[in-house]
Parts: sequence; C-alpha cells; structure tokens
Amino acid sequence: MKNRIQRYGILVRLEHWTVALSGIALIFTGLGCLPLFKRYYIIELPGFGWTADFYTVTKIHYIAAIFFVMGVLFHLFYHGLRKDFGLIPRPRDFIDSFKVILASFGIGKEPPCDKWLPEQRVAYLFIGLNILVVGGTGFLKVLKNLEWVVFSPKAETLLNLTHTISGGIFILMFIIHVFFVLAVKPNWPLLKAMITGYVDEEYVKKRHHLWYEKIKGKVNLEG
Amino acid sequence: MKLTRRQFFELGGCLLGAAIIPRESYANAKKYATLIDITRCDGCQGEKIPLCVRACREENKERFPNPKKPILPYWPRKNYEDWSDKKELITTLTPYNWIFVQKVEVEGKTLYLPRRCMHCDSPPCVKGCPFGALTRQPEGNSVIDHNLCFGGAKCRDVCPWHIPQRQAGVGLYLKFLPKYAGGGVMYKCDLCDSRIKKGEIPACVIACKNQVFYFGERKEVYQMAYERAKKEGLYIYGDKQNGGTSTLYLSPVPFERIDQYLAQTKARFRMPVNIPNRYHQEINPIGKGMVATAVLSSLAGIAGALMNRSQDDSKQKEVDRDEE
Repeated sequence: MKNRIQRYGILVRLEHWTVALSGIALIFTGLGCLPLFKRYYIIELPGFGWTADFYTVTKIHYIAAIFFVMGVLFHLFYHGLRKDFGLIPRPRDFIDSFKVILASFGIGKEPPCDKWLPEQRVAYLFIGLNILVVGGTGFLKVLKNLEWVVFSPKAETLLNLTHTISGGIFILMFIIHVFFVLAVKPNWPLLKAMITGYVDEEYVKKRHHLWYEKIKGKVNLEG
Repeated sequence: MKLTRRQFFELGGCLLGAAIIPRESYANAKKYATLIDITRCDGCQGEKIPLCVRACREENKERFPNPKKPILPYWPRKNYEDWSDKKELITTLTPYNWIFVQKVEVEGKTLYLPRRCMHCDSPPCVKGCPFGALTRQPEGNSVIDHNLCFGGAKCRDVCPWHIPQRQAGVGLYLKFLPKYAGGGVMYKCDLCDSRIKKGEIPACVIACKNQVFYFGERKEVYQMAYERAKKEGLYIYGDKQNGGTSTLYLSPVPFERIDQYLAQTKARFRMPVNIPNRYHQEINPIGKGMVATAVLSSLAGIAGALMNRSQDDSKQKEVDRDEE
C-alpha cells in the first residue's frame, strides 16, 4: 500500500468547505439580488420559484453569509495567531507561478515546491484580499441595514457599489480556482486531499520536494 | 499579509469611527415630512392638469429621459419598457410623471389622492439597490442617481407601492452589455431634493391652491397629523406603513376602504394598510445573528490558536529534538 501524508487537517478542510459552499450560495443569491433571475427565466425553473422574491433571496444570502463570515473570521484569527503563514506569498512567487502553470500543461519543468505551490500562495493573496473587501463591505451593509451605523449618501453608494463589484471579482476568482482544480490533472491530488486530508507520498516527493525534505521519515507517514 | 492583533483592532476602530462620523451629521440635519390632507383635495377640477402634477413636470422636465432609439428588448425576453410616446400621460406614474392624482369613490364620497414616493424611513429600495444608485438623504428623502442606475427595477419590486418607473434606452447600461443586462433608468419623486437642500419647498407643495400639502419638519408634521386626526376624527396613512414614512395622508374614510376600492378597480397603485417592513421583520434578525457569529467565530479562532500551537512550530521543535 502506498504511503500517505497528511496535507490538510480536519479544521482546514472544514474552513475550506464552509467558505466554499457558503460562497457558492452567496454567488447564486448575489446574482439573484442583481436582479437577473426573472429576466433569465430562473424563477420559472422547477424548485426555483422562491428566487422571484428579493426578500427571500436576500434572506438566503444573509444565512449563507453567516457561514461565510464564520469560516473567514475563524481562519483569520486561528491561523493568524498560530502564525501559519505558509500560504503568504514569497519573493519570486509570481514568476514561479507561471512556471507551475506552464508545467501543468506540459511546458517546461516545475520549480521544486514547498507544501504550497507558488500559484496557490498567489491565489490565496488575491482571493484573500478580495474576500476581505467583499466580506467587509457585506458586513458593513448588514450593519447599515440594521441601522446600527448610518452612512452618508456618498458612502452608501460607494459601499453598495464596492460590494457588487468585488462580488463580481469573487465570481471570477471562484471560476478560475475551480478551473485550475478540475481541468488541470496534476492538481487532482490536491482536490482529493481537500476531501480526505491526505496525499500520496509519491506525489509529495515529485511535486513538493521542499516539503518532502522537511517531513520525510518524521511525521504523518502512514503505510 | 501580517496583521497583528493590535493592528487588527486599530483597523476595526478606524472603520467604526469612519462609520460613526456621518451619523452625527445625519442626526443633526433637518428631516422633513409632508402631510397630504385629502379632505382638501378636489383633483383641481376645472384645471386641465392638477396643479401639483403640472408643477412637478415643470420642475423636473430637464431630468426626464431622452431614450436612444431603437430600444433593444430585454433579451432573452421580447419586451422593454418605453414610456417615451406617453409623455403626456398624467393619470399614473411614469418616468415622465412622478406624481398623479388618484380618484377614489368610497361611502358615496369622491376622494382625490395625490400619489408619489412615500419616502420611507427605512426604504427597501435604497437597501436593495445593488449599484448604490438609490440613497437616503439626510433630509429623509430617497433619491435615485440617474447616472448610476442600471434599470434592473428591483427598487420597484421591493417597494410596497411599486412607485419607481422604468424607461429603457437610456442610462449607464447602454455602455456595458445593453442586450444582456440592465434595462434603463428608474424615475420617481425625489421630494425636490435640490430645492429642499437649498431650504426651499417642493414644487408640488407650492403649486397647490387648496393647501392640500403641508411640508415641514418631520416632528412638527407628525404632531400636526396626530392632533388633527384626533380632533377631526380623520384617519392617518404613512406613519406605520413599511415602518414609517415621510409622507402622511389624512382621510375622512378608513384607508382599508380606500384600498378595497383600489383593489376592486384593479388600480395600478394600491394603498394597503398592513405593510410590515420586511427588512426589519425578516432580514435584520438574521443580520443580528451574523454579527453574533462574527464575534463568536473570532473568539473561537483566538481560543483555538491559544490552545494549539502551530503544527509547523511543534514539528520544527520535534525535528530539533531529534537532531539533538
């Protein structure tokens, strides 16, 4: 039997899937808030009649946002205070990302990687910043709707517009993220790891050589 | 990105401060309201156009839409909303007519009700607009920025009275994907925002010869309405509906009867009495849950981090020990 190495603990997987699934619900209901569903007959699809009512769509958006906020804030505080900074971009990551992406399509050779690929660190930075903007503006919108804070008309416009635009960027990043996981075969073990928590030792040896050197023979090996 | 706990709280403090500052100016600004006394309105019998309607059209004519033709249908649908050949229509709300006088017959009485945006205290149109085109002004009125509006008409759907009206073939959406998204620009009464900001009175109020309208400070208008209702046995509309508004109607007959008549005659604009504010009732409780979750999940993250050192740290220490 192949040796397996733990890549993602249960907490990380829970954080990821909480943010991912609530993010999908937020994207769907966010588009419904735009409004697009009536025009594009979504409200007429069986089981989607509820999307005709903006208040219901907003309610589901809020409920999904509860889980999203939970995942994001737990992630920020837990990993921030533990100093789990493996996903913070390093110098040369931008250049190395291109090398990794090209290598995924069979062009050139991947640079030796640590636990996280340089493209993952770059993606984390951009997705993370975008989540802070879309989540932060969303949170402020909630406070505004609660009338706990009152914004000036110009600030209100800026807030709503920023939430909508950063929501659009979130959709774009979500599509890119899912594309690179599903369409790029070398990344499939990472998807499996995000579900089971483990990757094969062979995969680590081949693709995450720097990480492999750090852990080989010492921790988390199962056989 | 490194953000220490201290920096995090500093940032939070700054954001909170920035949010609170406008609250001060907001609280100090004058809030207005309009009292519409329908016991005095005769629909301007003898006039070609009711005076309030005429004054409103005159005041806002420069802001009326001038659509670019041909207008594209809202793909994949075949329809589009075009009122540009009905500019003279004064018996309903259109992008070219932001106030109209509604005739109602109840209990043998003929009543005339000037109808326009109610300017809600907690306006769902403002809360719901995804582009921030709608804002609530410090004076208490809701205003559509015609340059920002994409014409999705969500404001009309969430408005309990469905007041805003759409004109296709005009506005920002034409610059993006006019075939696939957006539908024009929404138009409605803004309570003569530019006039009231200068301390003037809305055009409809000035134009009325029967003093149907009284425009003044909100507190005073509310007080006046309640006093008159009590003294003269009149009914009030607009103080409770949708969580309260800046427009109060005084009527000699109950508004339930008025709305009954409007329902029977299949009127485009109704006056339902029981209108809860759905943001207050259905959405904000979830919002409170979200705030609580934010606090709890932050605390859980902090507690978890204090209990569990970084795996990398502990692993590193294990490695160090092994090497010793």
